[in-house]
Amino acid sequence: MTAAPYLAIALILAIIPLFLSTYGQGLMTRFLIFALFAMSYNVVFGYAGLLSLGHAAFFGAGGYAVALLKLHAGVDLFWITAPLGLVVATLVAGLFGIIALRASGIYFLLVTFALGQMLYSLAWNVKWLNSKGMQGITGITLPDLGIPGLSLDTISFYYMVLICFIISFVLLYRLVRSPFGLALVGIREDESRMEAVGYNTWLYKYTAFVISGAFAGIAGILFAYYNFFVSPKHLGIATSFLPMVMAIMGGLGTFLGPVIGAAVYVFVETFASIFLPQRWPLILGGLFVLTIMFAREGIGVYLLRIWEKVSHRYGIAES
Amino acid sequence: MDWFVINLLNGMSYGMVLFLIASGMSIVLGAMGIINLAHGAFYMVGAFVGWTVAVKCGATFGLGILAGGLSAGLVGLAMERGLLRHLYKQPNEQVLLTFGFVYILSNVCLWVWGGWPRPPFTAKFLVGSFEIMGRSFPKARIAIILIGLILAVGLWWLQDRTRMGAIVRAGMDDKETTMGLGINLELAFAVIFFISSFIAGAAGVIGAQLLGVRTDLGMEVLLLALIVIIVGGVGSIQGALLGGILIGVIDAFGKAVFPQLAMFTMYLTMIVVLIVRPTGLLGRKI
Amino acid sequence: MESLRVERLSKQFGGVWALNSITFSVEVGDRVAIIGPNGAGKTTLFNLINGQLSATSGSIYFFGKDVTAMPTHARAHLGQARAFQLISLFQKLTVMDNVLLTFHGATSSRFKMFRPVEHFTDVYDKTVQTLKTLGLWEKRNEPVSNLAHGEQRRLEIDLGLALEPRLLLLDEPSAGLTREEGLEIIGVIKNLGSNNTVLIVDHDMDLVFEVAQRIIVLHYGEIIADGTPDETESDQRVREIYMGLE
Repeated sequence: MTAAPYLAIALILAIIPLFLSTYGQGLMTRFLIFALFAMSYNVVFGYAGLLSLGHAAFFGAGGYAVALLKLHAGVDLFWITAPLGLVVATLVAGLFGIIALRASGIYFLLVTFALGQMLYSLAWNVKWLNSKGMQGITGITLPDLGIPGLSLDTISFYYMVLICFIISFVLLYRLVRSPFGLALVGIREDESRMEAVGYNTWLYKYTAFVISGAFAGIAGILFAYYNFFVSPKHLGIATSFLPMVMAIMGGLGTFLGPVIGAAVYVFVETFASIFLPQRWPLILGGLFVLTIMFAREGIGVYLLRIWEKVSHRYGIAES
Repeated sequence: MDWFVINLLNGMSYGMVLFLIASGMSIVLGAMGIINLAHGAFYMVGAFVGWTVAVKCGATFGLGILAGGLSAGLVGLAMERGLLRHLYKQPNEQVLLTFGFVYILSNVCLWVWGGWPRPPFTAKFLVGSFEIMGRSFPKARIAIILIGLILAVGLWWLQDRTRMGAIVRAGMDDKETTMGLGINLELAFAVIFFISSFIAGAAGVIGAQLLGVRTDLGMEVLLLALIVIIVGGVGSIQGALLGGILIGVIDAFGKAVFPQLAMFTMYLTMIVVLIVRPTGLLGRKI
Repeated sequence: MESLRVERLSKQFGGVWALNSITFSVEVGDRVAIIGPNGAGKTTLFNLINGQLSATSGSIYFFGKDVTAMPTHARAHLGQARAFQLISLFQKLTVMDNVLLTFHGATSSRFKMFRPVEHFTDVYDKTVQTLKTLGLWEKRNEPVSNLAHGEQRRLEIDLGLALEPRLLLLDEPSAGLTREEGLEIIGVIKNLGSNNTVLIVDHDMDLVFEVAQRIIVLHYGEIIADGTPDETESDQRVREIYMGLE
């Protein structure tokens, strides 16, 4: 597994936006944030095999932390909002994990769903969690990096997101290649054998759940700054569905799958918003159903196979 | 005292709608091990079709219920026969597939019927109110309570007293053996799924007396159904009934006492049950 | 020295007593076979000893320590290893991953999150070594499901042994094996040192009589015989039960 392809892609991601309009740069930012969200979900579902229906709770928690700091304390400084947002998201995941892992199978699904919806309901109903007279919190602006004279614009925000993405990518990559990551896969395949050979499986599942939530929180923080607005919707099932779609479409349990899935998602979403805005959910749902039925391993894996065939044909070495 | 009774009746009528919604989902879950997240969408489809028949075309309400049930039943059958049954023993994929259908069906309904919400409607003879303890109470809500009770009895009978229920429970445990006994499990699954979806669609029309018809019902009703199932327990009619009525009544009294809390009392109940008894109050082991 | 003691151990499922007040003890180095008709409670007994099931009542002592409430993974670290009735190797994972996972389970590096698996050379080298010794190096990147049944069974038992367990629980190790493969297993068990205690459940009477120096017979959750192979063979009750199975 050489680093070359990854470096090449990182380079491409760094250079392309310079040639795009602000709209295009915004799209790439969106792609990176969603890719991170999907990668976080891949840890708990793709690798550990836990189907969670409430992943947006952590995404939204991170975003709301940022938004509330802005709304109630006027804080823009990234070095305050980001760590706090991460702490909040991780705490929520820590709490929800304890409750949810009391259940297994179908019940786990139901519980994660319920907990996510509970946060949604809280955000909807509690006045303190909303801007005056509306649902959600507006007025979020690009973060302040605390460097005098430097204020972010679209392109520099993109680079900030890219850096966060790359750091997260590397951390998650190391995680899944580590003994811990391998153990998650083992637990997914046969939990009772893993117990029998000495793994405390509950602890692994819980840790995976919390780590997953933490990275979702990072995505949520970045999203709040990208979107300038957070709403209860970002805590609920509709948003929880997004990383699921992306991770599955791209290839569940493969490391790059979610990234590919996020790219496909943003592409189709953009395409649909231009040509068929009314039918976007239909297209998304249809694409999702088709992937599950016919490309179970994900479009990403499918594309990787084609890539392998092509590179063999043309003798491109890939050891 | 009359305040108490009126709220209780309100709670029960809403609770019955919740029971109707959750019962179908619980049947499929208990009998086939599938969590059908599109169940709320089936409710919505039934509601829209029922509206078209009963309001737009002016036919009887009963016909609307039938049409709603049939349309949802057929959609459900198509989904099960065409897609779900190929995902046997892959519960995660099944769940995800049904979720995809929520998006598809919601958008199709939006396409066909448009985004403006339809207000609650009911049968002509159910318009108006009874007088109960000096207060007026809509006839439609009494009807809902009665229909709910009848259906509860019927479904319980089907579940516990018929060969069908036993067959399906056996099939869930061991498909090969059950099929080896000459029982047509495929047929049984198809029938169960059809019945469950039919109930969802019929519930859509019955519930329209309270909730009206909207394109966001797909997700909203799903939420309600899941809350009821979590509270009442999975896999039994009794659980769905208990869960539905409990939630309905708690919600009614919650709103009466703390109007600004809206759905929060429901979520609170759900969390309490989750902590105390994660399999639900009357949960059956699946 | 006593390695395992089971005292009035009982397990109830619904209304049925799968095991009813079982008591016996085993010394270090013993080779004990547990036999009985289907449904007698043999696998349930293993599940209780290993921790997959919790007892309704009674106690289990492992090297003098009360492990009745201890979770399975902790018992694994005390030195229990198990080969399951249905081969429990991870079918979809590669042979190498299977071995890596099993070996890592015994070490403290199993929870490490920041370095790749290959970095942990003690486990990695042991994995490579084991694969080569078992002749599976060529197939290391194939999914385990590609291996023949006999190869899988050998691998599962060998993995259990490689961890040098103090107690080895073998649940029907000869199931699905050929004559030769069965003999190989017998050889492996016989070659184990006097530090290993082996409990074996099997229906293959030839294997049982070859390997065990003591046989416990279970019937409807109770011990009806406990003695040497000769004693068991001549026990009247045992003969009655097995008459039909001859």
